[in-house]
Amino acid sequence: MDISRRQLAGVILAGTVVGQSAAQAPAQAPPPSADAQLEGARSERRIAAQIIARVPLPMTVEPAFQFKA
Amino acid sequence: MAEIAPDIFFASISELNAKLRAKEFSCRELTKAFCDRIERIGPRYNALVLSLRKQAMSKAKDVDRELKRDRTRGPLQGIPYGVKDLLAVKKQPTTWGAKPYATQVFDYDAHIIERLNKVGAILIAKLSMVELAGGGDYRTAAASLTGPGLNPWDRTRWSGGSSSGPGAAVAAGLVSFAIGSETSGSILTPSAFCGLTGLRPTYGLVSRHGAMALSWTLDKLGPMCRSAEDCALVLHEIAGVDSDDPGSAGRSFNYTPQYTLRRLSEITIGYMPVDFQDGAEPSAQAAFRAAFDVIKSLGVKLKEIQLPELPYGALVGTIIAGEAGSIFEEFIRSGKVDQLADPHQIAGLKAMLDLPSTEYLRAMRVRSLVKAAFHDLFLNCDMILAPTRLGPANKVAEPLDTPGPPTKSRGGMIPGGNLAGLPAISLPCGFADGLPVAISLLGRPFYENQLIAIGNLFQKQTDWHRRRPPVEA
Repeated sequence: MDISRRQLAGVILAGTVVGQSAAQAPAQAPPPSADAQLEGARSERRIAAQIIARVPLPMTVEPAFQFKA
Repeated sequence: MAEIAPDIFFASISELNAKLRAKEFSCRELTKAFCDRIERIGPRYNALVLSLRKQAMSKAKDVDRELKRDRTRGPLQGIPYGVKDLLAVKKQPTTWGAKPYATQVFDYDAHIIERLNKVGAILIAKLSMVELAGGGDYRTAAASLTGPGLNPWDRTRWSGGSSSGPGAAVAAGLVSFAIGSETSGSILTPSAFCGLTGLRPTYGLVSRHGAMALSWTLDKLGPMCRSAEDCALVLHEIAGVDSDDPGSAGRSFNYTPQYTLRRLSEITIGYMPVDFQDGAEPSAQAAFRAAFDVIKSLGVKLKEIQLPELPYGALVGTIIAGEAGSIFEEFIRSGKVDQLADPHQIAGLKAMLDLPSTEYLRAMRVRSLVKAAFHDLFLNCDMILAPTRLGPANKVAEPLDTPGPPTKSRGGMIPGGNLAGLPAISLPCGFADGLPVAISLLGRPFYENQLIAIGNLFQKQTDWHRRRPPVEA
């Protein structure tokens, strides 16, 4: 998977915690602990879910995958 | 012993094959020269994982024997190439770019390698990649077993991800072409950053059997080459049905340049005006405007379109989380995940295990809307033109999520096109800050011939794809 600052900044609508936290982080902040990293990743997942949940989705829409017999 | 001139390392596939058939040099001489070069120069860009010199020279000997008897196997016969190190090569390490898999060995070749073997192409090297193709959401260029992929145009810049090695190796003339993979951008981005022509095929057109799985519904394999024509020649050989790939579309690809295009005045190319006005990074805007003018000069119709506002990036991330979380579940739970290089990637993979099934399924349902939206767009145009990336390669020393210059373009073509399973070709179109930038053409499913045809015409009018980085011998 490719990801870059431009994708992070330009693709995910309404911005993400990732972009915001990068912009707000102190210049010389120590690296976050593993627990903090994990909580950050979970937070990003939650925000992605919230962004997706804003899309109106009729009950008739099925998932976009196909199974072949 | 014929001397291999430096220009040969940057020759097209057709030129190389013609010289082999004309016996200007032997396949062994060519293969040895490429092996020498990639072993010497590849480490400079962290592009080389493993040289396959011994088996390559043996195969080259076979090709020479065939050529001596005038037995030809097509344009890839005798052509040295490399593969991203997520493809299985029998009895050789396949690291997936990740320390925990550094000693992994398979007892079979990936289907795509079998196909290339059959037509006489010479696999000379396994090339570097972002660890696990970056599925855990990496944030540094150094997220790789072999270190950050360095760009041959400027080693302080990234070669792109996750097919970092293929990007650098083709650009530096270390292989004639390479096979990369794309889940969301991993062929197009390194191609754009390194000045290559890269083709992401329609989902299911090229078998992924023997490739590391990251996302069953998003993964694709495709060629990274010097030109649209070269992409076509490679795709012609690697596309096709494979019962070992459950995602196989059951289609093949025949390169038919003579029959592909109707009159150019009947081709409609959609575009978003902001992309070619002031939407991209300032340093790249002139190159994109000039490329737009070249496309316009071909005589095609251009039509303004708007990409629907859908959360493409969030959808890709959620779908990968659901699928990669399942694929790598044992790896994550075992704790081996902690050996990865990028802490953000480690956390991202762990967080995947918490994803509710409802969120994955909702993302896949919204993905249906994305597919429908692109279907509707293609009712009004034949293909869509956009910058591949909005600016040149990132600086290696900076985190990948460092805010860049502000842009008005929304992007979305890479994740959107991947969600819809659509083919795309990236074409170098100029330079920004001394680094390559590129435009992309996105098409309907199985529309590769048409994309390649317009790519060929663009590359007849421009020479950006022939530019070479300052690689010392």
